[in-house]
Amino acid sequence: MPIHEKSLLTPDQIMTADKLVIDGVDVSGHWNTMIKPRTITDYDPDFYKKIEGLPGGENVSRCWQCGSCTNSCTMYAINPDFNPRYWIYCTNLGLQSEIVKDKDIIWQCVSCNKCTNICPKDVKPEGVMKALAHWLELEGHTPKSKSSVFDEEFTRQCLARGRIEDSEVMFNFFKKTDQDVVRLVKTGWLGVFIARMNKWTELRAGRWGKFLARMPITGPLKMAWAMVFKPRTKSWGRTGEVLAAYVEEQKRKAHAAH
Amino acid sequence: MNDTILVVGAGPCGLSAAHAAATAGKRVVLVEKEQVLGGAPILSGYARLVPSGEWAKDAIGRMVKRVEDDPAVTIRKGSKVTKLEGEAGDFTATLSNGEPVQAGAIILGTGFTHFDSINKPEWGFGTFEDVVTTTQVEQMIGAGKVYCPSDGRVPERVCILLCVGSRDRQIGREWCSKICCTVSTNLAMEIKELSPKTDVYIYYMDIRTFGLYEDKFYWRSQEEFRTKFVKARIAEVTRGADGRLLVKGEDTLVKRPIVIPFDLVVHAIGMDPNTDNPEIAKVFGIELEKHGFIARNEHYTGSFATNRPGVYAGGSALGPEDIDTSISHGLAMAMRAIGDLNALARKAA
Ligand SMILES: Cc1cc2nc3c(=O)[nH]c(=O)nc-3n(C[C@H](O)[C@H](O)[C@H](O)COP(=O)(O)OP(=O)(O)OC[C@H]3O[C@@H](n4cnc5c(N)ncnc54)[C@H](O)[C@@H]3O)c2cc1C
Ligand code: SF4
Ligand code: SF4
Ligand code: SF4
Repeated sequence: MPIHEKSLLTPDQIMTADKLVIDGVDVSGHWNTMIKPRTITDYDPDFYKKIEGLPGGENVSRCWQCGSCTNSCTMYAINPDFNPRYWIYCTNLGLQSEIVKDKDIIWQCVSCNKCTNICPKDVKPEGVMKALAHWLELEGHTPKSKSSVFDEEFTRQCLARGRIEDSEVMFNFFKKTDQDVVRLVKTGWLGVFIARMNKWTELRAGRWGKFLARMPITGPLKMAWAMVFKPRTKSWGRTGEVLAAYVEEQKRKAHAAH
Repeated sequence: MNDTILVVGAGPCGLSAAHAAATAGKRVVLVEKEQVLGGAPILSGYARLVPSGEWAKDAIGRMVKRVEDDPAVTIRKGSKVTKLEGEAGDFTATLSNGEPVQAGAIILGTGFTHFDSINKPEWGFGTFEDVVTTTQVEQMIGAGKVYCPSDGRVPERVCILLCVGSRDRQIGREWCSKICCTVSTNLAMEIKELSPKTDVYIYYMDIRTFGLYEDKFYWRSQEEFRTKFVKARIAEVTRGADGRLLVKGEDTLVKRPIVIPFDLVVHAIGMDPNTDNPEIAKVFGIELEKHGFIARNEHYTGSFATNRPGVYAGGSALGPEDIDTSISHGLAMAMRAIGDLNALARKAA
């Protein structure tokens, strides 16, 4: 018969020393298994404010735990540990450790927004999932996501020059996320990507002329030139600095408002 | 045929019945056992009322004044009815001071008694000074300061336990007191208003802020005043080494035991049947229902009737009830009593 209480334990609560001798008695392995108490001994009353201050988390404290979000959730159907209702409760009571425990699943939200449509209190659970994933990343519990790396590179170029260079953004993004461009070329992925952009169907139908007519020639040349010379937008001056300061201030305000 | 209406109990229900009967041209005798009129909201010093937001002493004070200023209403404070003889249309009641009162009909607005938290010793009332009841917090709010009775400090954290003395077979209280959820969410907002740094947690089994009280009290308390709602019926309140109270229970939503420190624990006490009810039942010759409230007869056509013709009961004497409803009961009972008296008069003629 399954022991119900066992399902309430998480691996980090079970302590078993491989080798242990107490008073000359060998109690290695199972014999010394101890279970840490599961009792919650405090709340962090201000934690919800951190999530509320991140985009998507604005309505988190409205939740009344009806469970509609979890019931309707695409991810929950696949993985019963994916439970937006639960994480929202932990957010509101300030049980961070519970959220950190699930750091490797929270990001799996597929943004289908079924939860958003069903939530009777308009909590926007999908947004809360985003905010939680964001918080986990900011606190260093999860590695920086690829989209954050992309955003950073994009923003960096915008602020530095008042414009972005597509190929440079992609090149640096691939580099920073350990995606080897050379390998991508070799496996043909990049080739297919470019071919699709340029009427693959024409080529397959044997209409070489039409295909070649659309081959990018001057564009890539311009891109390569820009990657080397890194031109700035005309009279960009200190605009980047001012913008960066403004963005910082807005972020600070958004977090302090809650 | 006697045209006087005897109203017993001067709470919201009795005050409303007395005024209504007087405006309809009847003479009224209003008997109240306390020295003060107004019922629970005045006797227990409630602060702002649900749902109007008016101070109890102003709102109920107006009801009291309206009756006191009415020459058709004779008031007998500090007295009870000790004997009742006769029948509908021709009763003789004897008051505790021996005075006889002739009346054609009797309206009971004898109300409820607050649950005494001593009967739930595991929740620390009577053991720890900083465990208080909703009526005590009402009084604190009325006085403009929420504090811990042990040392007067402003609480950093307040815990409100719902259903204290309600919905509990262990102590024979198998009813919901109806108003305490709304009162508690309202108190949480009032606490936050007086002390914005204080965090308020409500421990609940269900939240029953009925009808239009849903968004006005429950939602607003949660969304604007950031009251935290924890799904747990508390097992025990104890005290930690640092003197702070410890609230123990199981958080059923995280499926884990909790032991959380609090500065002030508030019991949302329920509405018991009036402790006088056995006596009232005997004196007036009426029946009580199984919980000990006054039994209501068939309601569709015989509204507010007890089992004794000519004796009517309403308000929280019938079961947990809010003020607005108790006031309506008072008006309705006056209508009912006068209608029955008119019918008797027609029959006699
Ligand atoms: C903490 C708390 C807060 C509340 N806050 C609100 C609120 O904000 N809004 C709301 O709508 N409701 C509130 N309520 C409910 C409210 O108290 C009742 O609805 C209301 O008091 C009922 O009025 P009543 O006239 O029926 O009874 P009562 O107010 O109990 O009045 C009964 C009167 O009869 C007298 N009496 C009793 N027995 C006898 C006797 N044998 N002879 C003569 N006189 C007698 C009593 O002394 C009393 O004056 C609250 C309840 C509690 C416990
Ligand atoms: S948006 Fe995310 S949390 Fe919401 S239902 Fe879809 S997968 Fe679940
Ligand atoms: S559907 Fe909305 S209110 Fe219900 S549990 Fe999910 S977030 Fe909370
Ligand atoms: S109104 Fe709320 S607190 Fe009062 S008894 Fe009912 S459920 Fe419990």
